[in-house]
Amino acid sequence: MTINRFDGSARVSHAIRDVLIPTGGALAMLVAFAATAHAHDVTPGDAGYIQEIFGVHIIPFIYLGAKHMITGYDHILFLLGVVFFLYHMRDVAIYVTLFAVGHSVTMLLGVWFGWGINAYIIDAIIGLSVVYKALDNLGAFQRWFGFQPDTKVATLVFGLFHGTGLASKILEYQIAEDGLLANLLAFNVGVELGQLLALFVILIVMGYWRRSPNFVRQASFANIIMVFLGVLLTYQQIAGYIANT
Amino acid sequence: MYNAPQPKLEDLPTNAQLRRATVIAVIGAAAIGVMVYLPAEYGIDPTGVGSVLGLTEMGEIKQQLEAEAEADRLLHGDDASSSLMDSVFGLFVSAAHAQEAWTDELTFTLEPGASTEVKATMEAGATLTYAWVATGGRVNFDLHAHAGSEAVTYEKGRGQTSGEGSFETPFAGDHGWFWRNRDDQPITVTLQLRGDYSGIVWSD
Repeated sequence: MTINRFDGSARVSHAIRDVLIPTGGALAMLVAFAATAHAHDVTPGDAGYIQEIFGVHIIPFIYLGAKHMITGYDHILFLLGVVFFLYHMRDVAIYVTLFAVGHSVTMLLGVWFGWGINAYIIDAIIGLSVVYKALDNLGAFQRWFGFQPDTKVATLVFGLFHGTGLASKILEYQIAEDGLLANLLAFNVGVELGQLLALFVILIVMGYWRRSPNFVRQASFANIIMVFLGVLLTYQQIAGYIANT
Repeated sequence: MYNAPQPKLEDLPTNAQLRRATVIAVIGAAAIGVMVYLPAEYGIDPTGVGSVLGLTEMGEIKQQLEAEAEADRLLHGDDASSSLMDSVFGLFVSAAHAQEAWTDELTFTLEPGASTEVKATMEAGATLTYAWVATGGRVNFDLHAHAGSEAVTYEKGRGQTSGEGSFETPFAGDHGWFWRNRDDQPITVTLQLRGDYSGIVWSD
């Protein structure tokens, strides 16, 4: 770090400084330097970075969007549920597009208009989306109600909820007004990119698994685990909501 | 399953296709790790791709913020006990009088990425009036104070070229600005002050 100094224009302080320096003022200065350095409110990590910058930063925001998606296990779990029984690339593309359209709409509108929804509530709903999709995969709705809800509509609707969750997180980041729209669009591109990267890995693993003769038997087991994980996510968020409000 | 047809083996990707995809995924992950993740998180850029993409700067800023947060923790702990040191030793004293004219004018230059702090030592309930102008670029600032367990943020801004106003202190201590240049040119800031303060503390 460079040392920045007075350029001599702090006129009033000169007289007293002249007294202080010969009487150990130099030592006092050193201590004052050490004691006040960086004593502002520092936010490290991605949020800190975003709060430092302004203007258009396309690639950094694409990176942050992709990172957010890849490290967001709730989104990944829902995505896994959606593609679990989709065997054809055409179906995968349709459903993933529906999900992407859903979360893009609410993410962009949510940030642009500043819809601040409590993060615990929206994350609890996202947890429930995982429960819903896993139950759907298990055929629970047909068994319980003799009725199969439209899976495409459900994917789109839950996409809207996931986008609202993304918007709430981005609002916490406090992106600068300067360059907001471009950065937001870049973040959204990053979210889709991260989703595709995650999907690529999911489809490879599912590809190997589906070829195994035990797949169908293990699949119901896996979806029961997914119901459990979804309930756990929801429970954590509700507990967090109660503890923090 | 129950709401989907059973997979037919001929519908599924072949083992050869899956092996190929796996190899691509592993190579892709390694490439992303080295060319994107390392620069963006740690500012380490062995291939130079991160710098071209503007990700190395992000990693460097994150590392800088991390180091500052760590320094904050070491310095203040949980109870911010160094404020006594600030008030005892923070003595760039100037005899200021609240008048219409500015009593102090400070000028400093910040290189890109550099930061500094300028604070006025004030009693509780005192008022400081200020005006500042940045030339050469846009500057980030955090106008704040903390002493003991008390802390206050008056205003934060980024990418600004000027500011003016006044604030009244809720508690005694050093109240003032943290400045940082996140632009790409050196910035010169001129800050004018008047009000009820006993001194100016300057730290880098």
